[in-house]
Amino acid sequence: MRESSTGWLLTLPAALAFLLLVLAPTLAAVTLAFTDFELGAGPPAWIGLENFRELLEDQGFLKSFRNTVLYVGLVAPASVALGLALALLIESRAPLRGFFRAVFFLPVVSLTVAMASAWQYLLHPTIGPINAALRAIGIAGPNWLSDSSTVMLSLSAIGVWEGAGFNMVLFMAGLTAIPKELREAAHVDGARSAWERFRLVTWPLLGPTTLFVVTISLIRAVRVFDTVAVLTRGGPNKASEVLLYTMYTEGFTFLRLGYSAAITLVFLAIVLALMWVQTRVMDKRVHYA
Amino acid sequence: MKIDRRTLAASTAALFAPRVLRAQGATEITVHYAQPVIYKESYDAIAAEFAKREPNIRINWMTTPNYEEGMQLVLRQQATNQTIDLSYQGFNRLRLFAERGIAQDLMPLLRAEGDYAAEGYSPNMLALAHFGGIQSGLAYAASNPIMYFNADLVRRAGGNPDAMPTDWDGIIALSRKISQLGDGITGMWYSWPGDDWMFSALLFGFGGRMLTEDERDVAFAGPEGLNALKLLDRMVKEGGMPNLTRDAAQQAFAAGRMGMTFWTTAAVRGTIQQVGRNFELRTGPMPIIDATRGRLPTGGAAGMLIAKDPAKREAAWKFLRFSTSAEGTSLMARNTGYVPTNQLAIDQDRYLGEFYRQNPLFQAATRQASLMVPWYAFPGANSVRVTQTMVDQQARIVEQSATPEQVLADMAREVRRLLPRARG
Repeated sequence: MRESSTGWLLTLPAALAFLLLVLAPTLAAVTLAFTDFELGAGPPAWIGLENFRELLEDQGFLKSFRNTVLYVGLVAPASVALGLALALLIESRAPLRGFFRAVFFLPVVSLTVAMASAWQYLLHPTIGPINAALRAIGIAGPNWLSDSSTVMLSLSAIGVWEGAGFNMVLFMAGLTAIPKELREAAHVDGARSAWERFRLVTWPLLGPTTLFVVTISLIRAVRVFDTVAVLTRGGPNKASEVLLYTMYTEGFTFLRLGYSAAITLVFLAIVLALMWVQTRVMDKRVHYA
Repeated sequence: MKIDRRTLAASTAALFAPRVLRAQGATEITVHYAQPVIYKESYDAIAAEFAKREPNIRINWMTTPNYEEGMQLVLRQQATNQTIDLSYQGFNRLRLFAERGIAQDLMPLLRAEGDYAAEGYSPNMLALAHFGGIQSGLAYAASNPIMYFNADLVRRAGGNPDAMPTDWDGIIALSRKISQLGDGITGMWYSWPGDDWMFSALLFGFGGRMLTEDERDVAFAGPEGLNALKLLDRMVKEGGMPNLTRDAAQQAFAAGRMGMTFWTTAAVRGTIQQVGRNFELRTGPMPIIDATRGRLPTGGAAGMLIAKDPAKREAAWKFLRFSTSAEGTSLMARNTGYVPTNQLAIDQDRYLGEFYRQNPLFQAATRQASLMVPWYAFPGANSVRVTQTMVDQQARIVEQSATPEQVLADMAREVRRLLPRARG
C-alpha cells in the first residue's frame, strides 16, 4: 500500500506534466473542432460535425489532402530506400566513413528554415546554379518552386534530402547489430554475391529497423510544413498546400480556429493510425528474436 | 516578411525589457507595431522626441515580425483581457478590428482638439483609416506601388532610363527587348502574389472598384476587371514575365538579372541595400492606365486605439496624435521610405523638402500621392480569404492555364460565395 502510494507520488510530476502539456491541449483541440470558434468574434457555438462536413466539400482542403498524400507517397519510400543505400555503402568499406556519415546527417541537425533558403537559391529559375547548369547543356530548366506542375516534386526532393540522412543513421545502427558471422556463414553456404547475402541475411534481420524507419518516415512526411511555409506559401493556386499548412492558414490567417482544429484532428487521426499499424499489425511479422 | 534573427531579437527584447520604474504620476502604456525591420528606427526616433514633451508617459513596446502575427496578438490579448493600448496595424486589417468592436472611433477625440484639418489631418488622410463606419485609426505610414528598374539593363536593351515609358504598352515592349538580351535575363515582374493589393492597383488604374456601393455584390467583374487581368496576361505573353515567387523575383532583380519590378515603395530601403553596387537602381511612377479615372491603392499602417482605462487611453491618444502629426510623419518618412500621411508635412517644404532632394529614389511614391485611394478591405469574417482567392485565381493567368475571361468569371463566383449574406 505504502509502496504503491510512493510510486504514484514519484510519477506525479511526469503525470502532471503529461496532463497539462499534452492531454489537456489535445482535448481542448478536439473540443474546438466541434465549434465555430473564431479569434476575436465572440463566444464559440457548438456546431457538431459541421466543420467535418465542410471539410469534405472544401476544394482547398481536399487539394491539400491529395498533395500531402502525394508528398508522403514520394518522400517516404524514396528517403527509406536512399537511407538504406547510403547506410550499406558507408558500412561496406568506404574509406571516409566518418566524413560521409557527417555529410549525410547534416540536413537532420541543421535548421530546416535556413536550409530552405539555401534550396531557394539552388532552385532559383534564373540565378540558381541548377538551372544555370541545365542552360549550359541547352535545356531550359523549369520554374521549380513557382510552377504548379513541378512544385510538389521540388518540395519532395527537399524532403528526401532531409529524411535520407536521418534514415541512414537509423539503418547504420540496425546494421551494426547484425552479427558478422551470419554473413560469413551465408558466404560459406554458397551465397556468393553481395546481393544474395543482402537478400538472405541482412534484409530480413533489418526487419524491425525497417519497420521503425518506415513509420517514422511516414509520420515525418505527413508533418511537412517548414519548407512549404518558407518557399511557396502553398502556392501557386494551392498547388503546394499541405495538411499542416492549410491548418495554419485556416487558424491563424483566416482566424477560424474551430475549422483549423478539425483539420488538426484529421492529422492526429492519420498519425495515430500509422502508429497503430506499426505496433499491432506488422510487429508480429518482423521480429526474429 | 521573413522572420530573421534581428526581428526575433527585437521582439524578444521588447517582451522582456525590464519595466521602467513608475515615476510619481506617470502613466504606462503598451504600444504594438509590426515589422520592426522596417519600422523600428522610425518609432525610436518618434518616441525619443515624444519623451521630451511628455516625460510622464512611459511606453512599453511590443513588436511582431509581420502584420499577420500582429493581428493575432491583438485578438488573442483581447480574448484574455490583457490588452495592448495602442496598436499599429495594416490598413486592410483595420476593418476587421472595427467590425469586431476592438478599434475605437477617433472622431470624438479629433473634434475635441478643434480645427484638426489645419493640423494636417486632411479628409484624404482620414479616409485611409476610415473603416466599419468609424474613424478606426489614424494613418501613420502610407505607401503606393512604384516601378523599380535596372538602368543598365534598360540602356543595353536600347531604352532610355531618363525617359521611361509612361504607359503599359511601352513598358511591355521594353520588357520584351530586355528579355531578348538572353543569359537568363528577364524583362519585368509584377508583384501579384501575396495579397490583392497589386491587383487592385491595376483594377483602380482602369477606374474600377472591388465591390458595389452597398457591398452586396462584386463590382470587379466588369470591363475594368477584365482589362486588369488582360494586362496581367499581356505582361506574361508579350512582356515575357516569368512565373516566380515574390522572393525569387526580388533576388533576380537584386542580382541584376531582371529589368523592372513593380511593387510597394516600402521596399525602397530594402532594395537599395540588396542591390548595393550591382547596378544603377532607379525608381519611377507606375505606368498610367486611365489618366482621369485611374487611382492607386494605399498600403501602410495606421494606429488604432484600444485602451479602455481613461488615463491610459489619454496617454495612448497623445502618442498616436504625435506620431501622426506633421513632425511625427516626417520622422517616419525619413526613417522608412513610406509616404508621409500628414498633409502639412506634404505641403510645407520645411518638413521633408531637403530629404527628398537628397534621396531621389524615395520621390517616385510621393509624386503619385494625389492618386492614392484607400486599400479596399472586404467586409465580413472571410475578408482575408477573399484576398487569397484573388491571388490564387491570378496564378492561373501567370501560369497561362486559363484565359482572363475564365479567371474573371471564377474569381467573381468564388468571391461572391465568401461575401457576408445580406441580412434582413
